[in-house]
Amino acid sequence: MSDAIKTTALGRFGGALAKVLSYFVMILFSVMTIYPIFWLIMNSFKPTREFQVSQLGFPLAPTIKNYLGPYGAWKLGDFSELIPNSLIYTLGATAGIIILSVLAGFAFAKIPRKATAPIYASFVIGLLLSVQSLLIPLFLEVNILGIYNTRFAVLLVYIGAGLPLGIYLATEYIKGIPTSLVESARIDGAPYLRIFRSIILPMTLPVATTLAILNITGIWNEFALINILVSKTNLKSLPLGMYRFSGSLSSDWGKQFAALTIGTLPMLLFYFVFRRQITQGVSAGAVKG
Amino acid sequence: MARKKRMGREEGHAYWMMVLPAVIVYLLVIGFPIVLSVVLSLSDYNGGKMFGGEAWNLTGFGKYANLVADPLFWNALKNNLYIVLISVFGQLPLGFIFAYIIYRKTVKWPNFWQGILYVPNIISVIVVGILWSTIFSPNGPLGEAINSLRIAAYHAKIATLFSGSATFAVSDDLVKRILDFVGPKAAGIFGNPAADLKDFLSGYGPSQLQQVITDLTNMFVQKWSPTFLGKPDIAMLPILFVILWLYTGLYMIIFLANMQKIDVQVIESARIDGANEGQVGRYIVLPAITGTLVNSAILCIAGSLSSFSLIWAMTGGGPDHVTEILTIYMFNRAFLGRPDFPLANAIALVIVVVSFILIGITKAVEKKFGGKE
Repeated sequence: MSDAIKTTALGRFGGALAKVLSYFVMILFSVMTIYPIFWLIMNSFKPTREFQVSQLGFPLAPTIKNYLGPYGAWKLGDFSELIPNSLIYTLGATAGIIILSVLAGFAFAKIPRKATAPIYASFVIGLLLSVQSLLIPLFLEVNILGIYNTRFAVLLVYIGAGLPLGIYLATEYIKGIPTSLVESARIDGAPYLRIFRSIILPMTLPVATTLAILNITGIWNEFALINILVSKTNLKSLPLGMYRFSGSLSSDWGKQFAALTIGTLPMLLFYFVFRRQITQGVSAGAVKG
Repeated sequence: MARKKRMGREEGHAYWMMVLPAVIVYLLVIGFPIVLSVVLSLSDYNGGKMFGGEAWNLTGFGKYANLVADPLFWNALKNNLYIVLISVFGQLPLGFIFAYIIYRKTVKWPNFWQGILYVPNIISVIVVGILWSTIFSPNGPLGEAINSLRIAAYHAKIATLFSGSATFAVSDDLVKRILDFVGPKAAGIFGNPAADLKDFLSGYGPSQLQQVITDLTNMFVQKWSPTFLGKPDIAMLPILFVILWLYTGLYMIIFLANMQKIDVQVIESARIDGANEGQVGRYIVLPAITGTLVNSAILCIAGSLSSFSLIWAMTGGGPDHVTEILTIYMFNRAFLGRPDFPLANAIALVIVVVSFILIGITKAVEKKFGGKE
């Protein structure tokens, strides 16, 4: 150790102060993050009458009545229909985004065509647009096409909304794959579709994982778009179902909290298992602009 | 030669096979709605079948004139700008500080803090919105927590009036001390405070001291009930707080990932040359992630302008439209009461234009203040 970094008494005090402050801020924010969610789950095990008297205490006699039974949140909120729907939308749209993005990304990155520049640019501009600002024209379009209240419309809109980021990430990733791989296969006379299937596709697993991570959480929790695309209960997703509990059912706190807990737990579990991948995917997907 | 020609044809064929599916979906979901909103915002179309139904005509820019004349539009735009400001000047600096603390190992367990602070981002904003509107509601847990502190403090003060003995005797002096302490509130409860309070106290036995103190506390303590979300002039504050709470962790993760790309040796040698922690942050880490900061600001702005669900779940745009943002204003114009689809489409275009303007400003600022990576 050189003399220069020998800390003076003042420096050491400053360092200790910074440490204490840092821990304080971190702990404060962590408590602010975790406590409300803990509070929500805790109160879902309290009868509504007890909640009205004591909102902060632990449940005196924890009960699962808010969840089960003919008037429990599970039945009342039609969760047995919402969860399969959410799965269909999330997995279907995510798969669609990945397939379309990787296909187009390969063409943009490895097949030299004049059309690439304008088409690719139009997708990249889409990164700055958010489909949510187009709620009303989308609603009208879906009605013109006669696909209001269909799963097809939901999947179509979710895939379209995910394409700009998907195509951007896939294209940039595939650009990094050595062109010589494609060229030597071309010299051997291989058609592009076969090159795609046997060479490119297996190599795009990392970017496909990133896209899956980004889209799964996003679509699972999406509300604004599906809210204008479907109105039938048997087509609704979890966020739409949970939103019902903020209206006419909101005075029954116990059931509302149970419903919100049911809707939150699957994602919490997903996060718990894939935390590392999610964190990496999010920072990889933030290269907008 | 024939082979080359065949392969050239195959190339074009394969290209379009791979590109067209994405292009068609993109046109349907983004392209066509934009064209539709341009056309409809200039028309008098108002519901019903668009083709083959009641005839509608292009009528010009009247709807845009209506829009700028509507105070609700400016209110919604103002709220959107508040959200942009709290995002750019709240989330980004806080996210940077958190990331820096973790990056410089000022705190232990980096994965733990990261893992926790990101949690709000994986929960549906519908849940977040309902949860926080419950917390901020007049009879919610925030009120309960504050009131239990107030009651405890008030209880302790009342107890001192009884001069510490285990029993009590009603006296004019005691009544006067209590009335002095509780102030004008007594007049709201008793018609003749001095006499009525003495009567009231006489109802207790000498050994019921604790009971008297508790009852007096409940009678006179000023209860507080949070009315943030109901008061027009401050209803946006809780919303801005929740937005800060929600996304700070996201930017922390993004910044941290980019800080970890910095060459550690640069920082080590700067430290050896005597640079302090603040200088390292200011002159090494901050410049290294300027590009990321600008990209994040763009992400923030685009997200802020199109946000809908959080406020929809927290306040629905109320009370009386004060917390409306452009997307909710647009939604209400189209679906609430008499639908005005041309106006709603004009709003959609305004949102698109405003976000491009703000992003342009961000890029200009980056250029001016040198965003060298």
